[in-house]
Formats: sequence, structure tokens, C-alpha cells
Amino acid sequence: MIRLVRAEFLKLRTTQVWFWLLLGAIAISALTVIGPLAGGDPKNGRDVAEMFGSAALAYVVIFVLGVLGVTTEFRYQTITATVLLTPSRWAVVTAKMITYALLGIAYALVCVLVQLAIAVPWLDAKGVDYSLGQDGIPHAVGGVFLVLALFGIVGLGIGALVRNQVVAVSVGVIFLVVLENVFLAIPGVKHVYPYLPEGGIRAIADVTARDQDLNGVRLLPVGGGVAVLLLWAFVPAIIGAAFSMNRDIT
Amino acid sequence: MSQPAMDGRIVVDQLTKVFGGNVRAVDQLSFTVEPGSVTGFLGPNGAGKTTTLRMVLGLVHPTGGRATIGGLPYRQLHEPGRIVGAALESSGFHPARTGRNHLRVLATVAGLPEARADQVLDLVGLRDAARRKVRGYSMGMRQRLGLAAALLGDPRVLVLDEPANGLDPDGIRWLRGLLRHLAGEGRTVLVSSHQLNEVQEVADRVVILNHGRLVRSGSIAELTAGTDSVVVRTPDAPAMHAALTGQPVQVDQTDPATLRIRGLSVEQVGHLAYAGGVELHELRGERFDLEQLFFALTAAGAQPPVPTAAGGPA
Repeated sequence: MIRLVRAEFLKLRTTQVWFWLLLGAIAISALTVIGPLAGGDPKNGRDVAEMFGSAALAYVVIFVLGVLGVTTEFRYQTITATVLLTPSRWAVVTAKMITYALLGIAYALVCVLVQLAIAVPWLDAKGVDYSLGQDGIPHAVGGVFLVLALFGIVGLGIGALVRNQVVAVSVGVIFLVVLENVFLAIPGVKHVYPYLPEGGIRAIADVTARDQDLNGVRLLPVGGGVAVLLLWAFVPAIIGAAFSMNRDIT
Repeated sequence: MSQPAMDGRIVVDQLTKVFGGNVRAVDQLSFTVEPGSVTGFLGPNGAGKTTTLRMVLGLVHPTGGRATIGGLPYRQLHEPGRIVGAALESSGFHPARTGRNHLRVLATVAGLPEARADQVLDLVGLRDAARRKVRGYSMGMRQRLGLAAALLGDPRVLVLDEPANGLDPDGIRWLRGLLRHLAGEGRTVLVSSHQLNEVQEVADRVVILNHGRLVRSGSIAELTAGTDSVVVRTPDAPAMHAALTGQPVQVDQTDPATLRIRGLSVEQVGHLAYAGGVELHELRGERFDLEQLFFALTAAGAQPPVPTAAGGPA
């Protein structure tokens, strides 16, 4: 398994997608602190925690990376060589899950460092009274790590399930970025929101939304949010490995 | 390595694949590929060659029957990359990855040292292109890279789907030598092709497929034995027919002046013409080669499977 994970990292390193998507993640992290700071919003530690938690928005980037991790192999038919050398689809998918979870953690580390580098001097200059060890800031940052570690796996699962790159990326991103919020706005349907990926993410990393009504919907507690994300990460991956990846490769 | 007793024999047994409920791509196909030989796997496009190879390699699930390599289905092989090397037409490369990096990835998956990547690149003559992205490779270079990938694990068994496609004449000559060399080392080499003359020059045995069914299998010598013919051109065809009367021959008249005679040697035909006083403008022997056999066997598509020659599906 270790050599499969090493091979997955080598696959990533030998193409350039990871770099461009990392730039995307850095841009998201930078904007999510520059925006509030330039607008003068953060007044206290609670606001700062919310700001740091918003690095979790980079989940879209790591999701795309995960989708590409599987679908690129189908698109360019490198999947043939991959499964010839590793006939067990479980082994292939498990190696990818480990790889992309580690990758998500690495991305999270970069995102958090970018945010700290921008925000700490700025907050100090503004004289905002906060402490990195308090007011839910460690919680928000930990949430970012957890969300990004899991969302590569969500992407892999969707990729393994769908196999078609264009469909998986576009449908996945539209669902995550647009449709979930549309669902939240529709009476009746809105109650599924806490169980959708974004509902899970906000339960984990959005320290203010957790305590609010969102259009009359309450988010799950943190543990519930983690459970929701774990389900979104593992159920598609397991179904994908068991069925979709196992279909004839022609 | 981990299976020292494994002999590398490929056994295809009653293999059947039905696509979409009614398309019988492969139909009760049985044949054996022996170690130490190059076996040509022949058939027109759509005959089911690629589907068969994909079932042998565990990429496509058979509807019926089974295929084994060294006694085991592919997916049960331990460290398959060190036992079987495969180059399939549709196995691809990431266009943004270099040829060398493609092989490094595969070597890592297979647990092989990365130095193997450079060794096989040298072997297939891609050293100079190793650090270029596959995007810029010609068809022939991609074929060579696919072949390099197949050779990476120093496998006992090679399964190559149309490896000569896209190679220039030099490349084809080189490939022929490589395949002979690999078979000479005792490896099992199964090569699909529709380029029959290529196969005839390199293969010891052939398996001929049409409409998913076995048409014929055996050594080339067996399959073409007794099929040589003598071509005679004469201004007096009726006299030549008369001269052949009573001989155990099969005569086809291809045009008013040309007869094709099977069952006699050139000398025998020449003698009969001389004895019968028939004027000849041409007298020559024609080897009935694999290509002709192939067309004869697969013609019109309605041909039922012919009983196999001696040494057929074992």
C-alpha cells in the first residue's frame, strides 16, 4: 500500500494540476481574510475565528483535485496500466484516499499559513483584541484541516462513481457551490441542508453559523457535521470501488 | 519471482463475452499460448481480438468461460507486473507527463527500482525523448513507450495488442527482432495483429479469429501445408486442362489464359505440359501464404469454424 501511495504522489508531482489548484486554494485563503480585514469587520476574537474558518472554502479546490485524481485516469486511459499492476480496485481506491487525505492536510497547512501571514500583522495593526489560542480560533483552524482532508476523498468518490471527468467536475462543483444554497432557500427541501456537504462543513468550521438559524434551519453539532462529511467521503468511494471502478475497462 | 513454478502458459477456455445482452463479441473461444514461442493472434477488425486480450488480462469480465496465465486468472496473480507485461492499444498516457515519468509511476506501483524506467527506455530506443512530454510523441513513439511499460517488470508473459501499428519499417524490423529474442528466452509472447505478413515473419504459431470464434490455430507450417499452388499461363487453356485430366489436382481458371493448379509440383506440371504439347508462357510456383489463408478462412463472414489443424486448441 505504501508504494501505491508513493505512486499516487508521483502521479501528482509529474503533472502540474496540483500547482494551479494550490494557487487557487491560496487565492481563496487570502481573499477570505483580506475581504473582512479591508472591510473592517473583525472586532473581536469571535470574528477572527469566523474569518479563519472560511479557509474551508478551499474545499472546492481539493474536491476538484480529488475528482481529477480518478477521472484523469479514465480520460487518458492510464487506468488500464494502473489496474493491470493493481488488480484490486479496493487497493487502488484506498491508496488514492490516503494520498488525497494527506494532500488535503498539506493544502490546509498552506491555506492556514497564508491566512496567518496576512491576518496577524493586519489585526495587530488594527489593534483587534484576540488570541490565537482562544475564542474558537483553534477550533476553526482544526475544522479547516478536517474539511480539506476529507474533501479530497469526497472528490475521489464522486470521480470513481461517475468516471467521466467533465460530468464529475461540473456537476460536483455546481452542486457544491450553487445547488446546496438553492436547497437552503426552498421551504421543505431546506431541511436537508445540514446533511449536505456544505451543511457539514459549516457545522465544523463556521463558528458563527453553528449557533444561528439559517433560514430556519439549524446546523448539526460538530460531531454530526463530521459524521455527515465522513459519509459524503466514504459512501461514494466505497460504491465507486465496488461497482463503478469494477466495470469493464475497454 | 514469487511464483517460481509458474510456466507462463496462457490458457483460454470456452471464453465468451456478450455485450449489451446480444452482441457476442467472443464466442466459446479456446486456445493455448505456449511459453518460448511467439503466437500471432489474428483476425479482421471487430473479430474480438482486443476483447479477448482484455479478458485474459482481467480488464473485462467474461460472460462465460475463463482465461488463465500460469494456471491462475489474471486478477489472482501476485505481483502481476512482474509476471505479465501488456501493451494494449487503448492504454494511454497523460499528455502532460514525460515518457520517463510515466514509467517511473508504473515502476513505483509495481515495486520496481526506478532505474528500470531508464533501462526499458534504452531498450525501446526512447532515451532521447525520455524527458519530453508524451503530448509531443508520435504514434510510433507512443507504441514504443507502451512496449517499454510492458517490459518494465521483466515479465515471463507478454501480451501485445497491435504493437506494430504506427511503427515505421525500421521499427517493425526492430520489433520483430525483439519479439523473437524474448521468445528465445523462453517467454510467452502473444501478439495480436491484422498485419498478417508481419506476423508470418515473426510468429511460430497463429490463432485466427473471426466473428469472435476460433477459425484455426496451429503452427504456420501446419496451416499452410499442402496449400502451395502452381500458376500456369498459356494461350491454349483447354489443352492444359486436357493434359491435367486424371491427375489429383484442383484447377481454378482465373482468366482465359491463366490456371492455378493445386496438388502438383512445378516440375510435375511442367512435365505434363511438355508431354501434352501445350505452349506455356509462364510457369511458376506460388506459396500460399498466411494472408491468403486468412482471407480464405475469414471470407464472407459466413464461414463456420473449421476443425482445427493438428496441435490446435490444446
